[in-house]
Amino acid sequence: MKSKQKGKDFCMFGLPGMICFFAVVIVPFLYGVYLTLTDWDGVASTKNFIGFRNFVGVVKDSQFWSSLLLTFEYVIVVVLLVNVLAFAIAYLLTRGIKGQNFFRAGFFTPNLIGGIVLGYIWQFVFSRAFVSIGESTGWSLFGISWLSTPGKAFAALVLVTVWQLSGYMILIYVAGFMGLSEDVMEAASIDGASGWTQMTHIIMPLMMSSITICLFLTLSRAFMVYDVNLSLTAGGPYGTTEMAAMHVYEKAFTSRQFGVGQAEALILFIVVALISGLQVYFTKKQEVEA
Amino acid sequence: MKQTTVGGTKRKLTNTLAIAALVIIFIAYMFPFLMVVINSLKQKRDIIKDPFSWLFTIKGLSFDNFVKAFVQMDFLNAFKNSLFVTVSATVLVTLLASMLAYYIVRNKNRVSDLTFALMVASMIIPFQAIMIPLVSIYGGTLNVLNHRLTLIFMHTGFSMAMSVFMFHGFIKGNIPIALEEASCIDGCTHMQTFFLIVFPLLKPIISTMVILNSLAFWNDFLLPSLVLTDKKLLTLPLSTYSFYGTYSADYGTIMAGLLLCVLPILVLYVALQKQIIGGVVAGAVK
Amino acid sequence: MKRKVSGKVIASALTTTLLVTALTGCTFGFASDPDDPNEVAKEVPIDTSVDSFQYDSSLAGTSITLLNSKAEIQVALEKMSAAYEEKSGVHVEVMPVTDGDSPYTKVVSLYNSGNPPTLAILDTTDVIALAEEKAADLSGEPWTAQAEEYLTEVNGKVYCFPLCIEGRGIIYNKAVIENALGRAFDPASVRTQDEFVALLEELKAAGISRPVSMAKEDWSLGAHHLQYIYELYDGTTPGGQQKIEEIKAGTLDLESYGRLQEFLNMFDILKAYNVAQGDPLGADYDEMAIDLADGKTAFWFNGNWAWPNLAEAGAEETDEYGFLPYFMNNDETDFANSQIQASPSKQVMVDRIVASDNQQAAAKEFLNWIVFSEIGQQMLVRTCNVIPPFHNNPYEPADPLSADIYARVQSGGAFNASVIVPNDHWAVLGAAMQKYLADRSDRSELIRTIEDYWAQQN
Repeated sequence: MKSKQKGKDFCMFGLPGMICFFAVVIVPFLYGVYLTLTDWDGVASTKNFIGFRNFVGVVKDSQFWSSLLLTFEYVIVVVLLVNVLAFAIAYLLTRGIKGQNFFRAGFFTPNLIGGIVLGYIWQFVFSRAFVSIGESTGWSLFGISWLSTPGKAFAALVLVTVWQLSGYMILIYVAGFMGLSEDVMEAASIDGASGWTQMTHIIMPLMMSSITICLFLTLSRAFMVYDVNLSLTAGGPYGTTEMAAMHVYEKAFTSRQFGVGQAEALILFIVVALISGLQVYFTKKQEVEA
Repeated sequence: MKQTTVGGTKRKLTNTLAIAALVIIFIAYMFPFLMVVINSLKQKRDIIKDPFSWLFTIKGLSFDNFVKAFVQMDFLNAFKNSLFVTVSATVLVTLLASMLAYYIVRNKNRVSDLTFALMVASMIIPFQAIMIPLVSIYGGTLNVLNHRLTLIFMHTGFSMAMSVFMFHGFIKGNIPIALEEASCIDGCTHMQTFFLIVFPLLKPIISTMVILNSLAFWNDFLLPSLVLTDKKLLTLPLSTYSFYGTYSADYGTIMAGLLLCVLPILVLYVALQKQIIGGVVAGAVK
Repeated sequence: MKRKVSGKVIASALTTTLLVTALTGCTFGFASDPDDPNEVAKEVPIDTSVDSFQYDSSLAGTSITLLNSKAEIQVALEKMSAAYEEKSGVHVEVMPVTDGDSPYTKVVSLYNSGNPPTLAILDTTDVIALAEEKAADLSGEPWTAQAEEYLTEVNGKVYCFPLCIEGRGIIYNKAVIENALGRAFDPASVRTQDEFVALLEELKAAGISRPVSMAKEDWSLGAHHLQYIYELYDGTTPGGQQKIEEIKAGTLDLESYGRLQEFLNMFDILKAYNVAQGDPLGADYDEMAIDLADGKTAFWFNGNWAWPNLAEAGAEETDEYGFLPYFMNNDETDFANSQIQASPSKQVMVDRIVASDNQQAAAKEFLNWIVFSEIGQQMLVRTCNVIPPFHNNPYEPADPLSADIYARVQSGGAFNASVIVPNDHWAVLGAAMQKYLADRSDRSELIRTIEDYWAQQN
């Protein structure tokens, strides 16, 4: 009787969503994994099994490994900046400030600009606004376009990503703060706890589930960065800002090595899975069970 | 919000400082968006030569870009398609994901554990890695591309993982099982318990996910471009294609088109804001 | 709650639309500027009264698709297909390759979805990659006789239709030069590298301190600049291809390869007079068109595809723009110093895998219609505004850049060397050229990168 009820629950609650997910994500993914073991080039009508030869191609592709290393640096900076900023802003936006709804909508708008426009607008900012500031102040920091020197182009990439991602994370942190009981917040203030202790001892632990989610999302999004990379720097100047996801795409479709590109995508996936798995494991341990 | 009533002058001072900081960051955040708005009213030459010039100094300021974008995009038809796809997929994913997340939280077994783990892992699959397999399965084998329903199904599938993940976190943290046990005693079926008791409590996270998902569906370019090729079915972002050239792009029209595309989402966000605030579940977590 | 929310969504979305419609529908007093450079659409009417083309009536009712990767002629192609449909009864659906997709990625995904286009406009390397696997053999088509020197063969067979000719070189703005120098300027008077430098110096003395614009984009540096080292070997396709084979095999020492050193000499000259010399990698493509039209610069290294940009920047079709060659040395008799590169750039292939016999026949008829019907001939030149590769097409392109290329092709002032390089050549070596342009590498490092690149292609 009880197990029958369980089966019914599974069919009604679990199954529809699972079918959707497996059909759209898992099945094509497994098929993609299979393709890495063949010599298929995306076009040919035959697929020959070639074992791990594509992975040998990955090992040999030194560009891939350096782009992966660069992606690591980028991810670390982005994840830190995005979460600190988004957490702080979300905190301020749930304190009952006048016009906080307006602010929330405003911080969210960067998400609405995508694709080529995003890159174009920021190119203006880095190659024109900054340069004209440089001309009038004489500051060498803004002397030439940020996009034409490797270090600054990287910084530009980080800045734009932080600008874009934090709006998204603010939304999630705001939802988290809204979910906190007002009693907790009030009790904390009445107890006379100072701002910082209140933050670290009471609010942070209660916010851990939001933090877990946001860390995970920023981590995976930063690893997968493609749009911003393509539209802002296109990997330049001279290929110094090409991140892993962009390299994978270029390998498969520009260099026409579909199998190697597919294999690199798989390796990227495994790397990100390991890292975010560890992150979720460690932050989960900090969460307060309700 | 009532928190501000607590605390004295010190609190007021920090609040003022906080607001000042907020305003400064806010302006920096809004700057690029403002540039889109301003430049959407300019002609291409002025956009390139003088992107920062303020509106009233520009000669030839006009709504021409908007008119051109509106006509070239076949706006009303594309809007209808986008609306149908976005609303259907958002409703579908909200229902299915909240139910699946609820099932996973309340039923600890191997299937639910495995599914959840797979979902979390799948969120980091690079889309480029499944793009070609996806079209060869749904196009080559099943031959169901070029239907809006296929796109809705795929949107739902792709956003399932992230949505389940978010609902899962919220249900686990904020919905006490005691509530459901009480309704069990009242003789509710599981379905009734979910829809009458649990679902209303999910309001804040539902509002958040509706915003995030509908934004993603509304603005998505890559997936619809793979699924839909028939002109009558194009969604808004797809319909802006004609503004992009090989060597140059029609920036004024692109920005006007972008604004036409995102305005509905902005309105939705402002509307749902009230839902998020009105639906605070704080009271239920005592 | 769900219903309430979505009701609200629809309501607010509708309100927005109404608002936007009302706003944009409104005519503001200053809405239409007579000098609006965006309104380039000054169209030459197409004469449809004469049409001697023989249509195959059995094909009427057939529906085919055309994938277009040349975004700037999307609207023109739609008009062309409508004109063809009216006459033949064959419906041609023009599908664009959208932003963010490369044409190759798009065509690959369409083949995988089982829904490939009947006709696809692609770059030459793309067509070669797909030819034997997917494309119909077009060797026997009547139009091949009209464009013999522009055909691309794969193992002796023709798989693609050359849609247009594109040429590139150093674009000059004659009025700017004449105004600065205060005398008439004859482009033919510049015959050597030294004479070109002398002209640059003269302009510098006249107040245009840095008269050259050069794009920082990798496709410009990697394909349009660097490929001169293959194409200018002897100005023929086989000659260029032979040099590539030698570089690949390691039998050609690039350090001592004359054309490479000459090319870099010329590149250095352009670099020295680059208007963006302080920050060459910060240069903006769209601004270059404006600079040239306004007279801030006198030269821009680019091709005839730059015309729409110049027109938007305010250039008129009656203005005198044209091309100077990429001067390689001081030998007046060297063809490189008098001719510019002009070759077919976009190719059309016909699918033979999924398309039915009727569809393939209709696709082939459409291609022949472009070449042989009076309407197709006019529309190719006037509506699409491209340079036709077909001898029998009597129409001349109207804009000065295309007109210059066209005149040069007719008079022998152009050479056609369409070498085939790997598809990532422009991206990989474009990055190396960027580094050289920004003075972050020297000649020997650049040469080493080129050698390494080719060594990997074996």
